[in-house]
Amino acid sequence: MPDRIDLMQGTLDLLILQVLQWGPEHGHGIGQAIRRRSQEVLQVEHGSLYPALHRLEQKGWVASDWKMSEANRRARYYKLTPKGKRQLLQEQSRWRQLVRAVARTMKPVKE
Amino acid sequence: MWRRLFRKPSDADLAEELEAHLAIETKQWMDRGLPREQAELQARRLFGSRALTLEATREVRGIAAFGRFSQDLRYAARVLRRSPAFTAAAVLSLALGIGVSTAIFSIADTIFLRPQPYRDAAQLTWVAIRFPDNNAEFLPSPDYVAWRHDNQAFEQLAATGFNGTMVLGGPSPAEVRGARVSANFLDAFAITPAAGRSFNTQEELPNGPKAVLLTDHVWRDRFQSRRDILGSSIPLDGQPYTVIGILPPSFAFPLDTRIDLLTTLPVSPTANHRDRSMFTWSVFGRLKPGVTMVEARADLDRLFANTVADFPQLFHADNHPVLESLRDHRAGRIRIAMFLLMGAAAFLLAIACANVANLLLARWSARGRELAVRAAIGAGRGRLARQLFTEIALLIAAGTLVALLLMAVALRAFVHFAAAALPRLSEVTTDFRVFGIALLVSLVTALLFGGLPALRAGRVDPQSVLRRGAAPVGHRFLRHTLVTVEVALSVILLSGAALLFQTLWHLQNDHLGFQPEHLLTVTIPLRGPDRQPAARNALIVSTLAELRRIPGTEAGALTECTPMSGGSMSITFSRSDRPLPEPFHRGDSISLCGVGPDYFLAAGSRTVQGRFFTDEDFHHLDTLAVINEAAARAYFPGESALGKEILGGRAAAFRTVVGVIADSKNQGLNRPAAPQAFIDNPVLGGAGDLLFLVRGAAPEGAVARVLRAAHPHLFSKVETLDQAIGQMTATPRFNTVLLSAFAGIAFLMAMVGVYGVLAFSVTQRRAEIGIRMALGVSPRAVLALVMREGALLVAAGALAGIAGALILTRSLATLLYGVEATDPRTYAAVVAMLVFAALTASFLPARKAAVVDPVVTLRHE
Repeated sequence: MPDRIDLMQGTLDLLILQVLQWGPEHGHGIGQAIRRRSQEVLQVEHGSLYPALHRLEQKGWVASDWKMSEANRRARYYKLTPKGKRQLLQEQSRWRQLVRAVARTMKPVKE
Repeated sequence: MWRRLFRKPSDADLAEELEAHLAIETKQWMDRGLPREQAELQARRLFGSRALTLEATREVRGIAAFGRFSQDLRYAARVLRRSPAFTAAAVLSLALGIGVSTAIFSIADTIFLRPQPYRDAAQLTWVAIRFPDNNAEFLPSPDYVAWRHDNQAFEQLAATGFNGTMVLGGPSPAEVRGARVSANFLDAFAITPAAGRSFNTQEELPNGPKAVLLTDHVWRDRFQSRRDILGSSIPLDGQPYTVIGILPPSFAFPLDTRIDLLTTLPVSPTANHRDRSMFTWSVFGRLKPGVTMVEARADLDRLFANTVADFPQLFHADNHPVLESLRDHRAGRIRIAMFLLMGAAAFLLAIACANVANLLLARWSARGRELAVRAAIGAGRGRLARQLFTEIALLIAAGTLVALLLMAVALRAFVHFAAAALPRLSEVTTDFRVFGIALLVSLVTALLFGGLPALRAGRVDPQSVLRRGAAPVGHRFLRHTLVTVEVALSVILLSGAALLFQTLWHLQNDHLGFQPEHLLTVTIPLRGPDRQPAARNALIVSTLAELRRIPGTEAGALTECTPMSGGSMSITFSRSDRPLPEPFHRGDSISLCGVGPDYFLAAGSRTVQGRFFTDEDFHHLDTLAVINEAAARAYFPGESALGKEILGGRAAAFRTVVGVIADSKNQGLNRPAAPQAFIDNPVLGGAGDLLFLVRGAAPEGAVARVLRAAHPHLFSKVETLDQAIGQMTATPRFNTVLLSAFAGIAFLMAMVGVYGVLAFSVTQRRAEIGIRMALGVSPRAVLALVMREGALLVAAGALAGIAGALILTRSLATLLYGVEATDPRTYAAVVAMLVFAALTASFLPARKAAVVDPVVTLRHE
């Protein structure tokens, strides 16, 4: 298993929104999706995931609903709200800027 | 529905969400072939601490905000209960500060700011001419008549005068307080009678029909709310008066005296300055709409100029017209006392706040270690700060609760004690705006001095605190400053209280010039046929005989004055060996009091020179005079008054001075004696009411019963001079009691402050003291060390306080009597008292320091 990386502050929100782009998902599914899509590099602590989900819901970026899950019992499914979608776009562009800036900084300087 | 709307998941919701998570995880492991039990275990292991996740999520949603709050509350209550001294001191300080200041400001607000019980009260004014010589403001009757006729600024000018007692006849005669007013009085104040009508212009003419308006309470109490009383006739002062109306229950007489009925003044349309008799009236004006005070004042100046031009002899250069709003006039008489109380209340609030601040500062400092430990075992910074704030909130809540109780008690006590001193007290209610302000002030203080350290405590690095073992924050300078301010403020209050206290002492114990014990006055108002000379004389003779027959009576005399009043009239002094003064000459005045045989014996006067009147003197009435020392000083400086002929001239024969007696307080307790002459004629001022002065052992009730039995148709009022003195000292006593209470509370709080700071300082310096003692410093020296700290605080506070008191007590000057506002002995006494108390307050912590066992303290560190 590759080394795990602690998520930077604020990144988790972006990842959650990103995952929810593809449709409603419950907490477990969101955690798993992040892990899979990062090829097991990003490990989301449940102690951070659930507070984050509730925080996003309070901000109105996601909404939740109780639906039947694959485990044959009720689970809370989160989905992106229109406001959340706009937020995601913003976060994405900001993230790309950040990545580019960091990459440029990290590039070895030619002597 | 509610939950759907607000999407506020409950704890159960959250638990279910996490359960679902675990179920899905378990299913996934089972799908990979693990048996259920192992799958569940694996899922749990992977999930980590469920409690932590729950807690963290709750934190986000604030789901448990209430649960946490109640937990904090319980914790705070426990902490506060554990230190009862701190809690009691803080709660009591808050309660006193908030409660007392709110009560006082509520009263001030009622008196100064509340709307008056009259329609368009802003248009109502007080109109007068000021006579600084007599320290009085009034309008002579001829000027009232002229001004009412000629003014341009006022819709109405209404007059009132002769507020005094009248006798309401009937089967049981009673004394009622009547006010005489001009016919337009009710119109001026926009008052409509509840029944009947107001006065008409006929009724204010000197010989017009006699009409009376009853107040609501008299109508209810004495006439059983009978409707048929309207239009019927009642005997007042022996004459029939027609009841023309009943005043509404809301009626308030603008002079703030309790009155029972209104009748009319004799307003003569032809009143003239040259009339033999002139009245002095209190006049109220209602401004015409749109007329400003400035315009009205100009109008009065014009009217006053006409008045002076008409009769210059009557006026001095320093007489001037007065116009002020009714509100200012009503508040004016008690303004100084009220400002004094408001200032004292504000000081008390400030001291209370300083005390609370100090207590909180000391407390947080002392709890640095506890907070650090709790931070180290995982309490979040926010949580820690929240708990400290909860404690403050709890303190304030408790303080507020006690304050509300205190306020109710204070207001009730105030109304009880001050009813005589302050007008409009019946209208007083708790002012919750003021309460809010006082609460806000203490809240801000508590948050500032309790909250900032609390926030800092949240930021404290537990390691450094635990390693050093000492409290992280001292706030030493801040706390010392606060205590110094407390001491200074309490010195100011104490000085004020001490000055008022001495005033009261002087008022009650200064030599009165007579012996007030066992001295009664008997007043019998004479009305109707009783005024006829024959009937009057018969009544005098029989009453004197009855009074002298009462067992224990030493002396009884018919008189026109008591030792505490001036007499029937005041005239210009004259003597036979000097030119006569000009007619209407003012100044050189002397009070005349006609007295009957035995007056001086009854009064308990003391002769300085010459003799009293003898019974033989009364065979030739009105030929002799006895003067008081004030008159001798003023009009016979450097010579003997005996044998001189005085007080005669154009209208009367001169009287020969036969004696000089010691001064009595004939202008009231707080003013020096005025020149006074006693004449051997008890009916000097004419046939008015009868006044007897009686020295005897019988209580006033017994005397009243005897008189009632002898003359059932007459009303007689029996009073002790002590009662009269008590009434005169009611207001100063009230001021003194209140300010003393404030000063006492402030003083206590300041001492608690001194004690608190020193006790805390000793606790903090335990290690230092331990080392000193280990190095051989004696316990005595340690004691001195701590006491010195206390002495410094008190010295600084006392100096600042005295400086402040010297400035502030100057405004007390008008309330003082017999003592200067800068009286050095008073300040010395205050400082001595303070130093003594402060030394006591510092001794306890100092002794605690001196008995420190070095071994224990050093090991403790």
